[in-house]
Amino acid sequence: MTQPASPSSDDSTLVRIRGLTTVLNGKTIFDALDLDIPRGKVTAIMGPSGTGKTTLLKHITGQMRADAGEIRVNGENVAGMSREQLYKMREGVGYLFQNSALLTDFDVFENVAFPLRQHTQLPEVLIRNLVLLKLQAVGLRGAARLMPNELSGGMARRVALARAIVFDPMLILYDEPFVGLDPVALNQVLKLIRTLNQTLGITSVLVAHELEAVKQVADHVFLIANGKVVAQGDPKTIANDGSPWTRQFFGGEADGPVPFQYPAGDLAQALGLTGAAK
Amino acid sequence: MNVRAPHSNNVVIQSLTQIGNCGLFLLTLLAAIPRSFRYVRETIRQLWFVGAMSLAIIMVCGLFIGMVLMLQLYNVLSIFGSTSASGMVVALAVYRELGPVVTALLFAGRAGTSITAEIGLMRATDQIDAMEMMAVDPIAYVATPRFLAGLIAMPLLCCVFCAMAIFGGHLVGVTWLGIDNGTFWSNMTSVVVVHTDIVNGVLFKSLVFGAVVSLIAVFQGFTTPPTSEGVAYATTRTVVASSIAILALDFVLTAFLM
Repeated sequence: MTQPASPSSDDSTLVRIRGLTTVLNGKTIFDALDLDIPRGKVTAIMGPSGTGKTTLLKHITGQMRADAGEIRVNGENVAGMSREQLYKMREGVGYLFQNSALLTDFDVFENVAFPLRQHTQLPEVLIRNLVLLKLQAVGLRGAARLMPNELSGGMARRVALARAIVFDPMLILYDEPFVGLDPVALNQVLKLIRTLNQTLGITSVLVAHELEAVKQVADHVFLIANGKVVAQGDPKTIANDGSPWTRQFFGGEADGPVPFQYPAGDLAQALGLTGAAK
Repeated sequence: MNVRAPHSNNVVIQSLTQIGNCGLFLLTLLAAIPRSFRYVRETIRQLWFVGAMSLAIIMVCGLFIGMVLMLQLYNVLSIFGSTSASGMVVALAVYRELGPVVTALLFAGRAGTSITAEIGLMRATDQIDAMEMMAVDPIAYVATPRFLAGLIAMPLLCCVFCAMAIFGGHLVGVTWLGIDNGTFWSNMTSVVVVHTDIVNGVLFKSLVFGAVVSLIAVFQGFTTPPTSEGVAYATTRTVVASSIAILALDFVLTAFLM
């Protein structure tokens, strides 16, 4: 099942990444990474912690610039965009932050209405109707007047999702959407991701660690490690492809290609047993 | 806004880097002012928070500073039999120095810290990044309205402070210590020059201090590490840097305006 990223690029690819190289604080995060995100599908990005999954999302949205390589979203080169072009592109991209990132000064209604008020001159009644429809879609129309600090983690994430889809974007990026959710909230978010993908045809990219959840919702999985795609394929079968990376990651093994020990010098030397302690 | 974090361990280099970054941030702020005109409501909301909400502390402090100043001056001037000049000296001291400086110090402690903490927490909870992702410029929506609000509020607060200080001086000098009411006002109006003392002393100085305090507060908020410790340090730095800047600038401005 393991295969290199396809170099082809056509209408079926919404996000095309080629030769992405990123070095942060002397550490190579991506090393000539190639990756294609298919249009209209749910794609999961998985990998060990610190492997750069959230960084990849930030590259796609232009929040972070890469050291080398090219990212094209809907055919447009993100690195070559001006600030105005980036903002224009982002109006078509929804982003669900890990901690929801709701604006704490505003209630649920105003949070969802915020992008509409900033980018449109729609009459108040239309804004109200649109917001209520989006809140209805995530099951929180009744919570419209609650403040963010009155919401549970799952509810906050659903409000953030309503805000992310308020412009019916072509692409939604989910950063760890399942973290900290109880089984009920997790299933609600899973259902929403799948429903939004099917009913609105939105391309979804989710960064996650939960294989069981990913199996339920994703059409395609990329496993990233050491700055490259080390495995990709169908979420139901990728875990059985036999590579050391997938065996360790999906089998939850403590040691393997991802070492248990953070790189360090010789222990005996560090303990002063060789007479050259540092 | 890309601001380079100071990496050097040398305090002087760190400070110079911070000042340089703050200067670059000011240019970004100024460039964002035309874009922030569409957020007039946000600027008014911030004006309420940093201006109207600071009124109580400004009024109380102004009153007591005027009262204690009059008390001290009366005691000293009575040695020379010049107690009638007390009101005049209170007015000059308040208009030229105490009004703008103390108002700015209070403003830094009351409004500057709240601006830094608010923006720092917005960064720590990804609200700034969320705005970026919603194609809303956080410099134009968050930073510039707070900067402009500080710029507008400081001269107004300084006027209120000065009025309360004169009222406090009158309360102690005329009502309590028995200085003649007419002498109090006539000495004051004969010495105070509108251009030198009110325009240069009160309005211009407080405008500059308002800009400096608001700039430091917003800059610290935007560049703070997104952690609870980072926000705590940033609020402290706002007060320390603002206080030093106010006192140093006061000397420079006074030297140039005299």
